[in-house]
Amino acid sequence: MTQAILEFCRAGVKESLRFGATDAEVYGQSAETTSAAIEKHDLLMARTQQETAFGIRAFVGDRIGFASTNDVADLERACREAVALAKASPGDPRNVLPHGEPIVPVEGLYDPASAGYTTDRAVEQAIEMLRVAESIDRRVVIGDGEFAARRGERAVANSRDAAAAERTSLFLCSVLATAKDGDRVSNMDYQFGATRRVDEIDVEPIVRRASQNTLDSLGAEPCGSSFRGSVVLSPQAVEPLLVALILHHANARNVLRRQSRWDGSLGRKVAASTLFVVDDGRRPGGVAASAFDREGVPHEPVTIVERGVLASFLHNSYSAAALTQKNTAHAAGSAQSVPAIGPTNLTVLPGAASKDDLIAEIRQGLLVTRFSGNVDPVSGDFSGVAKGAHLIENGRVCRPVSGTLIAGNVFECLEGLSGISREQETIVNLTLPHLRVEDVSVTGN
Amino acid sequence: MQKLLDRIASEADDWTELRFQARQARTLTIRNGLLEASTSIRLTGVGVRVLALGVFGFASTTDLTEKGIRSAVAAARAAARTSAPAKRDRVEKLADATLARGVFPVDASDPLDAHPLEEKLALTASVEERLRSASPKIVSSTATYDEIQDEKILVTSDGASAHIFDSKPSFRVIAVAREAGKQSMGYETVGVTGGWSDLFAHRTADDLVEQALRLAVDQLSAPQPEGGVATVVLDPALVGLLCHEAIGHTVEADIVLGGAVTGGRIGQRVASEFVTMCDSGLSPYDSHAVGTLPVDDEGVATGRTVIIEHGVLRSYLHNRETAALYGVAPTGNARAFVYSDNPIIRMRNTYIEPGEKEVAALFAGVRRGYYLKGFGMSGEADSNAEFMFGVREARRIVDGRVGELVRGVTISGNAFAVLRSVDAVANDFAWEKGAGSCGKGQAAKVDAGGPHICCTVTMGGRQG
Repeated sequence: MTQAILEFCRAGVKESLRFGATDAEVYGQSAETTSAAIEKHDLLMARTQQETAFGIRAFVGDRIGFASTNDVADLERACREAVALAKASPGDPRNVLPHGEPIVPVEGLYDPASAGYTTDRAVEQAIEMLRVAESIDRRVVIGDGEFAARRGERAVANSRDAAAAERTSLFLCSVLATAKDGDRVSNMDYQFGATRRVDEIDVEPIVRRASQNTLDSLGAEPCGSSFRGSVVLSPQAVEPLLVALILHHANARNVLRRQSRWDGSLGRKVAASTLFVVDDGRRPGGVAASAFDREGVPHEPVTIVERGVLASFLHNSYSAAALTQKNTAHAAGSAQSVPAIGPTNLTVLPGAASKDDLIAEIRQGLLVTRFSGNVDPVSGDFSGVAKGAHLIENGRVCRPVSGTLIAGNVFECLEGLSGISREQETIVNLTLPHLRVEDVSVTGN
Repeated sequence: MQKLLDRIASEADDWTELRFQARQARTLTIRNGLLEASTSIRLTGVGVRVLALGVFGFASTTDLTEKGIRSAVAAARAAARTSAPAKRDRVEKLADATLARGVFPVDASDPLDAHPLEEKLALTASVEERLRSASPKIVSSTATYDEIQDEKILVTSDGASAHIFDSKPSFRVIAVAREAGKQSMGYETVGVTGGWSDLFAHRTADDLVEQALRLAVDQLSAPQPEGGVATVVLDPALVGLLCHEAIGHTVEADIVLGGAVTGGRIGQRVASEFVTMCDSGLSPYDSHAVGTLPVDDEGVATGRTVIIEHGVLRSYLHNRETAALYGVAPTGNARAFVYSDNPIIRMRNTYIEPGEKEVAALFAGVRRGYYLKGFGMSGEADSNAEFMFGVREARRIVDGRVGELVRGVTISGNAFAVLRSVDAVANDFAWEKGAGSCGKGQAAKVDAGGPHICCTVTMGGRQG
């Protein structure tokens, strides 16, 4: 089938050229998903989904039109429409298509055993998730959860000799858990895990992590004190606070939109010299692993921040042409949208110290499991609620606290980063350590 | 297609729902003088839901042949039957309803397809150009035109057979202003259920541009207000936001069953006597509200549901499953965004009924306070009705007069406490008619609105 999707893409390119395009690209995807959902600690519903979609970018000179359809029989009409949209559109000299390059497959993306994965097996996994939670502690409730098995194919072809295709399988488990003990309700905790192989499916550690975190936050009391000081952010708090901002400002599209504070900062210091951020589309086992990006450009590792210095923006072919920089193969998106820019498997490299070492050096501080609030991407100011938070006193985590607000500035946090743990957690496509940041306002009333 | 779906449904052993959908969506985005997107998306498929042994199963397919649809029915049936042994709370029955039959056209006298791409592109380009060239302080300008046109055929084995058409265009402008290291954003949106001429019937493109520019530029020099509890007048858009986001979700019956704060409170006072809050699939007071739909995705006619009547909680929002559970009639709130989505309980047009006070008299009654307008793009609300919203535009009120602009305003608290503090409801009414949509695992185009109201909220300025 993978080859068939690629042939449809090639046929679409030819059709677009026949309708008057000077260049064309067709991206195709097909997937079968079977899943079982949990709600209110009960099996909610099992479902199957079969989908196919094609996205056509037609170029007429430097003008572009995009059309998408989820019906193979409609592909010719969609190609004609993409060309018509291009002809009616104003031009932009930065509209370019990448030339074809050799694609080296990423091993292990597809498990042939996934072909026989039926709905009843997804239901079995969902039941196992409930059983694991109950075996850990009867107070744990899975409010929302899902086990999903997805087999897919994707392909891209363009008129500049790009042609790439690959097949994938993915098994996903997500859990949103809370613990209830009488009138006491814990914070909720979200955990996610994924594997590409049937024989590696194991929901137990994912449910165990969520259960343990939520049990740990039971009995949280107001912090009772307010101070300005050290905060240890868990990977789930690092993501919305620091990584989201790094990705916003490292996105070359935001440079072009004049919305990146790091415009002109290549080679300059943007964070503490201990910080390394890398993105690797070929990382074995990564949820976002694939051999090529949305435009068919081969993935390779990219260092975004090296020793605290901005080393690269993330590019697709448009931004690379516009800024005359190297295309980093970060064209992202589905067949139903024009290629945007996004990360693949992003890692904040671990440090030498343990999480406990980071905590041991704090006289008064806060351990934050999740963050819920606002981050202003322009100024970097953040304020919001520290969820699943624990007070740190004299180098030790002493008790869970509720209703605690934290506020500060992300750019200042990056520059003043005072610790990176050697432990990491993977949250979907992000692998992150615990980070210790300084000078954060903690309001605990 | 309708005959095929009717035949398949009539032969089903278990309760079966088939929903064919053909969607055509178009987007035009121009940013900083360049076309960023000119896209056309066509989606067609069938979603199938089967209720067997007290459990729902769902399957969707893009294969529109009889074989493909029958295969999806078999998959949905297998999903239901496979789940049944492990399901704790079974669906005992679905509530009875008069199920829709016939054709339901959209209320659009000026169809979107009658207007060529060139006309839509020219409008989008001219609006963006006006934003960009209005002031040297504008560093980024964006104009986006979106349209969604749907054709649905909904058939159930217990009698629904409806052919439904929908048309929802929208338009957005964003202006970002910068000066002396400060940056601020102004944005305005408009959206309707209807045709091309309906889109700008209540707000012109010029009005959107002027408002967005004024907000972006004026906020550069605006001060931050003092935080604390304040008397405020909320505009219809913010009243709608409060109704939808902070109250509405807590009365969706599936959320109620999940432990929302409204559980067991039917018949109890939850708001001031001035407040009557409803959710409607129609568009009362002013036509073409975004969430307008004649029947829901279970084939139930959508009427007006009174949620709060003179301050007393009267009803939750139901699908056929929860209505049966509560022993009430379904309210027509089951909605699915695309064919591959399972219908779940969603709002439509959510609002507070107008009161009796003249708008001018409502402002005149405020000695010191704030006039708060529109949603400021950030915010969240919980099933316990606790909320925090950014406000798009905030101005001081001094001795009944609206004056100085302030920036970075957020409001927070418990939405029911806010509704209990309402001491005046004006006799005007407006839908927000914006371009946004609601998210609950899947999207839904909704609207919200009401009159101006006077109440008390906790207000905070942003950090920094």
